[in-house]
Formats: sequence, C-alpha cells, structure tokens
Amino acid sequence: MYDFFSKERSAAYLKIDARQCIEEKGGNLDYYGLSSLRIDEPVAEQLEIMEGLLPCPELPFHMPMMELPGGHVADLHFFGDGGSVWLLFLDATPERDHQQRLQQKAYEMTLLQERERQLNAKLQSTNEALRESQEGLSREYRRAESLLLNILPASIAERLKADEQIADSHAEVSVLFADIVGFTERARSVGATTTLAILNYFFRAADLLSEQHGCEKIKTIGDCVMAVAGLPVARSDHAHALAHYALELRESARRERFAGEPLSLRIGIHSGPIVAGVIGKRRFVYDLWGDTVNLAARIQKAAEPDEIRISDATHELLGPDFACDPLGETELRGTGRVRMWRLRG
Amino acid sequence: MLQKKICMLGGFAVGKTSLVRRFVQSIFSENYLTTVGVKIDKKSVAFPDKTVDLILWDLAGEDDIGSFRVSYVRGATGLVLVVDGTRPATLAVALTLRERCEAEFGAMPFVLLFNKSDLTDRWAIPEGEIDELKQRGWQIYLTSALSGEHVDDAFRQLASMVAK
Repeated sequence: MYDFFSKERSAAYLKIDARQCIEEKGGNLDYYGLSSLRIDEPVAEQLEIMEGLLPCPELPFHMPMMELPGGHVADLHFFGDGGSVWLLFLDATPERDHQQRLQQKAYEMTLLQERERQLNAKLQSTNEALRESQEGLSREYRRAESLLLNILPASIAERLKADEQIADSHAEVSVLFADIVGFTERARSVGATTTLAILNYFFRAADLLSEQHGCEKIKTIGDCVMAVAGLPVARSDHAHALAHYALELRESARRERFAGEPLSLRIGIHSGPIVAGVIGKRRFVYDLWGDTVNLAARIQKAAEPDEIRISDATHELLGPDFACDPLGETELRGTGRVRMWRLRG
Repeated sequence: MLQKKICMLGGFAVGKTSLVRRFVQSIFSENYLTTVGVKIDKKSVAFPDKTVDLILWDLAGEDDIGSFRVSYVRGATGLVLVVDGTRPATLAVALTLRERCEAEFGAMPFVLLFNKSDLTDRWAIPEGEIDELKQRGWQIYLTSALSGEHVDDAFRQLASMVAK
C-alpha cells in the first residue's frame, strides 16, 4: 500500500512537533522541491504554506491541489498524533492539469457568453438611442415643413427645399385685395384686444376660404389681405374661384360682430399676368409682382364699403355666371380711366 | 521574521493571478489561464521600521460560490478582494466570499480592488457605487494588472494593515 502511494503518487511526509518544528521527514520530498527542509527548525519559516496553519484546531484536515515550489501539485493531508501533526503529500499534478483544462474551457465559454450579453445590451441601447434621435429629427423636420407650408404654397415649398430659385411667370391669374372699412378708427375705439380679435377672425376666414376654393392667401398688409387664384398651378377658372372667395369672405365678415358692429369689407379683383417668386434667404417671402397686382390694389381702394369691385378683364372671364353691375369708367391713380364692375353674386 | 498569509478572493477571471504576478514579478500576460486549487507566492514589503513578508495565496476563482473551500483561508491575516470592473456581478461574488471567511475565521483586514481599470470603454461600475463603499471606510483601489496602476499601493496598504 505504501509502495503504491510512494511510487504512483510520490508520497512524502513531515512530522511536526508541538513547538511547530520539523520532527521527522521522509518520502519523495525532492519531487516537491522540499528536500532542503531542516529537522528541529520551525516549519513555517522553511515552508511558507504552513504560515498561520498551526496549531490546527480541527484534525484531520485536507487541502487539495496546492502548487508547491518545485512546480508540482500536491493534495495535503494533516493528521493529529498526540501533540504532533503528520503532514502527508500526495501528488495531484495530473488531476490538477486535467481539471484545469476542463475548467478553462468552461470559464472561457462563460466569459464569451457574458461578453455577448453585454454587447447585445449595449447594441440594444444604442439602437434605442438612435431610434429616439431619428424620431426627434423627423419631428423637427415635420414641424419645419408645416411652418414652411404656413407661409408658402406646398408646391413652392417643395421646390424651395430642393434649393431651386423660384421666379415664375404666370400668364393668367386673378388677384384679390380686401381690407376692413374704417379699421384704423375702429381699432382706436375698441382697444388692442378686440382689434387683435378682429384681425384674427378676418385672417382666419381668409385662410380657411382659400383652402376651400383652391386659392392662395399670399400675405397680409396691416388689415389688408392679398389672395390669388391660378397659382402655383394654373387653372382656367381662376376668376370664378376668386369671385366665390370674395363673396364668401364678405359674407363671413358680415356675420360676426365686434363691439356690436359687423365687419364691412372693401374688396377689389383684377385678372392678368404676374410674376411670382420667393425672396429672402433665411426668412422666405413668397410674393407676386406686376401691373396686374398694382391695378387690383387700386381697384380695391376705389371700392365702396361692402362692395366687391372687379376689373373689366375679370368681368369678361366670369361671363354670364355671376350677376354684375356696370360702374362705368373711373379715373384710377397712375393707371388712367378704367372700366369696372360691381360683383353682386 | 514578520510573515503574513494573505488570500486573494474573487470570482473567476477577475485578475487575481495577474495581480499577484504584477505585484511579485512585475509582468503581465494577456493569456487567460484559470487557476485550479491554490498557488503560493511571496513578496517582501519594506517599511521604515519593519519588513513584512506577504505569503500570497492565489485561490481558484469561483463561478459557483457554493463550491468555495473556505478551509484554504485558515491562518490568513488579510484578504485581497478582487472585482472585475467590467463585470458588475463580480462585486457581489467578492463581498459574499468575504462574508463567508468572516463567518468562519472572524473579521480581518482587507482591501477591495476594482481591477481592469485600463478597460475604460467596457467599465461597468458606476462611480457612485464605489464612493458608497468608500464611505464605509473601506480601502478601495482601481487597479490594472496590465498597466500596474495602483497594484503596489493596494498590496502595500494591506501589508501595513496586517503588520499592525
């Protein structure tokens, strides 16, 4: 039995006395790099693993797989024998190496799995952040777009986004101007809040109706609204569309009362060629230019309260579809004598 | 001769062996070779009034704490608790191992090392958590066995604690 352990497991032993000095030694101590241990000297000073272990309150005591100075691995067994302790070394190098190979694979696999989980979690949170910022970006974009659409016709806004220069000639459009009769005096008497309510109501009505009739409200100047039909997409019934627009705008002004009084409008329409374009780089303005625009403005100024006054050119386009009264020729500033009509309905 | 047994404790692959190698031999290897059983190293730490020989027990790391052999710790006078700063779960492992040792052998001095501080882009322990632990009066070091950062500081600190 001892031969078996001695040969197969390189058995070696130490006997340590009550003073913790080596009392006896034997077996294959050389195998563990321990052949120089001296009898009768303190064990802990010669064999570091013994530091703090003695006196050992619980014997026998087993400490597996300890790598020793010679590089070999031993299972250590401590036995009590009266006041002495036997320390038996049995070789465990092959077992340790075998177990290490298995353990190594298992831990490497576990580490890889942990790393994969971490990377996946990171990927997921990165994706999440990316998605959120994309959503934020497209929200911003939609907001910018809707702001742009508020001040420009949709097709013009599209072309502007494509960085196009916009200046288009339109041979046939109708242009309308409308303002509130006696607005300045009225504003003075009703105060700021009511004045703002009046303008808000009037401009909102102008906006809503231009959507309904396929017209474009181009801009407001003080209490004056400028609208156009036949833009940016040409249409042959531009005069009809704007005539309907004018009639309904006048009607909605009459319907609402402010400080007890309804709104009364002065409206003028003229038809002809114009140039439309966007000016400005940071703050875009879509506007119309040309004699047609100027004449429409003059006709509007000449109109009576509650009157929709149209030029001869517009009247001709409307034909027999609308009831109109002739007004005869009138002298307009900067234009000479102009034939005009009153649109009734 | 002032000789003190110190045990390296922590989960597997947190860097216990690498820290010992860095401290004792001033070398580092990228290759991971898991420790099975225990390996012992020795290093003297000199102070103006004395020299302490640290006997470092590099214990096998744990995957499953239940299999930890607390008997290896018998006779130890101090602990080096090692956490992998890129794997938050290894903090709980280190703290549990300390509790098991204290339950068996009573309280003893220790230092807590958050290792792999060179892996900044993978670092996963919030600063606040470390500050909280420091407020318990614990000796805590952010170490890198790769660069050697704070490794000597941590072992010297423990040496001075166990030499008292």
